[in-house]
Amino acid sequence: MDLENVLIQATLEVFAAMIFIEITPEKPLEAGAAMEYNLTSLIGLAGDFKGILAIQCPAEVAMGITGAMLGMEVTELGVDAQDAIGEIANMVAGGLKEALTSSGKKTELAIPTTVIGTSIRTSGLSGSSRVMIPFSSPLGQFGVELRYIIT
Amino acid sequence: MAKNVLLVDDSSTMRKIISRSLRQAGLDFGEIYEAGDGQEALAMLEKESIDIVLSDINMPNMNGIEFLREKGNRPAIKDIPVFMISTETGEDIIGEAKSLGAIGALKKPFTPDKVNEVLGPFM
Repeated sequence: MDLENVLIQATLEVFAAMIFIEITPEKPLEAGAAMEYNLTSLIGLAGDFKGILAIQCPAEVAMGITGAMLGMEVTELGVDAQDAIGEIANMVAGGLKEALTSSGKKTELAIPTTVIGTSIRTSGLSGSSRVMIPFSSPLGQFGVELRYIIT
Repeated sequence: MAKNVLLVDDSSTMRKIISRSLRQAGLDFGEIYEAGDGQEALAMLEKESIDIVLSDINMPNMNGIEFLREKGNRPAIKDIPVFMISTETGEDIIGEAKSLGAIGALKKPFTPDKVNEVLGPFM
């Protein structure tokens, strides 16, 4: 399965249907490369496909996306941004789960968790593979990261 | 008569989006009530006059499947229709929801046009 394409299509679908901000996928980051961000929403996947999907945003991007989803100006990185970006992670993970199910991989989704900070790095899942796709938008760049193990 | 709607989703953002989508879809509805999980939804159903429930599946405390099961055990509210709105679209989980009384399902993400097409007949 082309996981990069699945993640790109799932993310594009979410933004086209519910956020109405034009985004463009960029070249996936090389192993070890990271983006700078202030908010990350994580959602765990379990079953035949184990993994963690993360949406990573700088503060301005997270606030802009949240404002677009809620239809109001958002000026702080607070509860609304945590909830909104968490819901994006949930929907992108839902698209991934649908593709995995179609290829015979039974997968369960957890409930998203969002972390705010200035020096966040995600790790875990020893021996996992990683896909990191940056997206550009009028608000700035954000990333969709997947760490996974297929059993 | 316009139907009163209960939105059940742990995401306040999603509750706002669904509420806005109902308006944008041009559907005729009365009051909109909100609950953050299945337990809150059960309490709301027993307190308010609600005609239809739009519920997520993956929620903390009491998820959408547990909510359907518990609601079915309460005679006063068991016949209120529930429509699932979720990222979960697998035949197994939607099949389980329908076996517990759910009348349909809408996949997130959705557009107002899709809301109109799928929910319109029930509103």
